[in-house]
Amino acid sequence: MNENPTNHFEEELRRRLRPVEAPEGFTDRLMAALPAQQKPVVVPFTPRVARPFSAARQFGMPAALAASLMVAVLLGVQVSKDRAHDEEVARVEEQKGIAASRELMQALRVTSQKLDLAYEAVNSPPAAGDEENRS
Amino acid sequence: MNLSTAQPMPDSLLAQARAGDRNAFATLVRAHQGSVFSIGLRMLSRRDAAEDLAQDVFLQLYRKLDSIESLEHLGFWLRRVAANLAIDWLRRLPYSATRPLDEGAEVAAQETEQDPLMSRELVRLLGELPPHPRAVMLLRYQEDRDVAEIAAMLDMPVNTVKSHIKRSLTALRGQMIGAKLVVEDSP
Amino acid sequence: MNARIGFVIAALMLSGPAWAAAKGQLQIPEFAALAEKANESVTVTLDANLLGMAARFLSNEDPEQAKAKKLVSSLTGIYVRNYSFDSDYAYPKADIEGVRRQLNAPGWSRIVGVVSKKEHSNVEVFILADGNKAQGLAIIASEPREFTIVNIVGNIDLEQLHDLEGNFGVPDLDIETPQKPAAKPPAAARPSAAEKTK
Repeated sequence: MNENPTNHFEEELRRRLRPVEAPEGFTDRLMAALPAQQKPVVVPFTPRVARPFSAARQFGMPAALAASLMVAVLLGVQVSKDRAHDEEVARVEEQKGIAASRELMQALRVTSQKLDLAYEAVNSPPAAGDEENRS
Repeated sequence: MNLSTAQPMPDSLLAQARAGDRNAFATLVRAHQGSVFSIGLRMLSRRDAAEDLAQDVFLQLYRKLDSIESLEHLGFWLRRVAANLAIDWLRRLPYSATRPLDEGAEVAAQETEQDPLMSRELVRLLGELPPHPRAVMLLRYQEDRDVAEIAAMLDMPVNTVKSHIKRSLTALRGQMIGAKLVVEDSP
Repeated sequence: MNARIGFVIAALMLSGPAWAAAKGQLQIPEFAALAEKANESVTVTLDANLLGMAARFLSNEDPEQAKAKKLVSSLTGIYVRNYSFDSDYAYPKADIEGVRRQLNAPGWSRIVGVVSKKEHSNVEVFILADGNKAQGLAIIASEPREFTIVNIVGNIDLEQLHDLEGNFGVPDLDIETPQKPAAKPPAAARPSAAEKTK
């Protein structure tokens, strides 16, 4: 890369690849798309005293039905927890897979670089004092 | 806006933008929009996609202003996000969706074009490079970043960056010589 | 010696050591101490399981990744150790010799060996051939400030390797397959920019 012809070419590249202007009105459109600034809304907090099964008593619901509803809710919560766990496992697996794919591409690039090194050495005219042998 | 002739921005501009000053943020955008848009344009070869990409990048910046440490970091961050986002988009788009630039689609920041044919051909050939070498070449020759910075931006080893540059230069120069747009210098 | 223990040991010896590597796989050290000294290192250890996982996350639409996906579908391992240093020969050559000695085993052939006194570099490429396919590929490259060991294991179709060449910047090494005559590309037919540059 230190050869003069390459340096000239690099200078040409720099000259011809200067950034171009963004489309007219780009900034205005972007600013219009920004989320509006909002002041935080303060909601007064009124603590409530929790009374078990109060809803059931209030609406005249039989205790057994209320209990069934409670079980259903708890089961739903458990299913939701299991789903969350499965999603977490899937997310971890996905991360592992993405990391592995990046490593794979990196490995193939290193492999190609070294094969290229061999190629260049084999195909360059031998300098004085060089040995070259191909099995 | 030509970055090379732009007035240096005061450091306080970043703090003002972080504090919610929209004018300050707009100034930061205007200072970098050319570079970000150009990375998108030369990576994706489409003006509409490049503008979408640039919008995405700056919207991300707006959300993450608190993590930007300095104006220098801002420049690094924008180019890193733009290049990596473009690479991701290229992976998702079928190759047919990224067509070569229309003639005259690029407007040079400075009117110094003595050979527009060469520029168009160069950009076209650049657009034929695979995503990673293309991004490396743009960060090197459009954005004038050094090898270590490019390696950090694209999360690749320094030697890989050097290899991309070397091979891409050889290929581009060879193609330009073949098309008789560059004279082959005698050694 | 307890006869039962002796019998178990004999059985183990006949079945081969539990750590026996797959055919074509080299025993490559982790080089943990070298990684500390290096200013840059790449360490990749992908067995069959991880290769399968990795392949699932490669894109079919990116030509580079699509070719990689096709290549690794028949591989069982890819192992890379690459270290760069700030000073010359900061790595012990004995470690590299330990790996190179494994390539003297039957079946391995050196297909490329280039020593450049000018560049002080040495690059060797070995394959463990099995007819038209290779069960293993090994590259050992030592330069003054960098050394690399690559080991690829599995059914490496040499035709696919030809196909890989030209992508990732992999050059055509003109690897000859035993049954077919060498297919030298014409000198004028150089890879396009999209194929060669990587």
